[in-house]
Amino acid sequence: MFDKFSISRIFESDGLFISVIGYVIVFLALLVLYIFIANLQKILSLKLRKKLKSEGHKSADEKDLSISGEVSAAISMALHLHFAEVHDFENTVLTIKKVQRAYSPWSSKLHGLRQDPKK
Amino acid sequence: MAGLEQFLQFTGFANVTYGHILMIIVGLLFLYLAIAKDYEPLLLVPIGFGILVGNIPFVENIGLQLGIYEDGSVLNYLYFGVTKGIYPPLIFLGIGAMTDFSTLLSNPKLLLLGAAAQVGIFITFMAALALGFSENQAAAIGIIGGADGPTAIFLSSKLAPELIGAIAIAAYSYMALVPVIQPPIIKLLTTPAERKIKMKPPRSVTKQEKMIFPIVGLLLTTFISPGALPLLGMLFFGNLLKESGVTKRLADTASKPLIDIVTILLGLTVGASTQATTFLKAESISIFILGAISFMIATAGGVMFAKVMNLFLKGDNKLNPMIGAAGVSAVPDSARVVQSMGLKEDPSNYLLMHALAPNVAGVIGSAVAAGILMGFLFKVF
Repeated sequence: MFDKFSISRIFESDGLFISVIGYVIVFLALLVLYIFIANLQKILSLKLRKKLKSEGHKSADEKDLSISGEVSAAISMALHLHFAEVHDFENTVLTIKKVQRAYSPWSSKLHGLRQDPKK
Repeated sequence: MAGLEQFLQFTGFANVTYGHILMIIVGLLFLYLAIAKDYEPLLLVPIGFGILVGNIPFVENIGLQLGIYEDGSVLNYLYFGVTKGIYPPLIFLGIGAMTDFSTLLSNPKLLLLGAAAQVGIFITFMAALALGFSENQAAAIGIIGGADGPTAIFLSSKLAPELIGAIAIAAYSYMALVPVIQPPIIKLLTTPAERKIKMKPPRSVTKQEKMIFPIVGLLLTTFISPGALPLLGMLFFGNLLKESGVTKRLADTASKPLIDIVTILLGLTVGASTQATTFLKAESISIFILGAISFMIATAGGVMFAKVMNLFLKGDNKLNPMIGAAGVSAVPDSARVVQSMGLKEDPSNYLLMHALAPNVAGVIGSAVAAGILMGFLFKVF
């Protein structure tokens, strides 16, 4: 099978043609997808732009209405800290929870007292 | 006494060949790399153990129904999923349900890096033709450069089933060896200044965008390359299960138990298909060499294209050319390699999210390339 490396076999079997056309089609497929994705955000934000315009917001004319990943991360972190109550200041409201327990001689005050020595 | 004689003839010791011993050593090496070196253990442990299973010597073709190539054996039934291309689309379903396309949606020009890296497939296709492989065999070998095991298995099951064992082993081996193969090529083709380029953080992507992408992605790519339908159909279906938000149970099943089961079956049977008596041929060695070349060209193609793109990009839109190497579809290994290389150059430069975009684009690109090659070469009855 592997007698010798021969470039001519590539041309005999349309190898070059298939490779060039194939590679171009791969590029084309992903280019079409790129064009679609690049414009998807614009299409989806049309409604938002209209709303912002009607409300008189200046941001309606901005090219990119999306929030950067860094801003999203900061908002997410702030919300997480808020809901998980991980914050720098302690709550100032103190609550005392009264727990009622059934009687047990182990916790009885009477048994905990030192008995008077018997004379 | 005759029974004892027959028993002795049936033992592995009586049937062992140098080929079996060589393949058992290869299997042990795979297991060592997976367990001791932590090289893609989820792939290499099933494959490595499969190699051991497939290379236990026995008397072949006397109706024992033991080996993977003997009709009716358990291993043969499990291997059916490989030879008929059933497992790869199921793996793609799981990948789709696990993949977050956000980075790609936030910076869609990175899709082009996924296309550029497919150059390895087509150059290797031509090299294999020049070496004397048939067109179908050359296409199946070339797809190793896509660095996508399921795609390689899928295409070889359709075009060159006789080479499926060697191609699958080569594809999965190179996927596992991404951390060894890619860094020297990346370093060779980039300057220290280029490797330090910091990229603009990705924008946040809306839920609507994430939901629309798998639907439109399927329509656009498969209309161009219908041959990729089983792979891309499942990939985008899995992704819609994840992103729709209403099929969490299905997405969880696809991304966890299903993909795990299929990976076990695929890895074990692909490993077992390396039975020395069938597998050890000169053409298997050629496939391994061509596969390595293909993978290297793909890596170089991605890096070089990122450098070309940089000529047209300005300011903070410039790309770190290392992420071009992630255009091969070894997800997420290539992206991880780029991330660790980036951190070595500059400990504050995190490239993982940026590299994941060409990485998932590479999955789409290699599946499209497989579909195109099938469209060109499949023999119509």
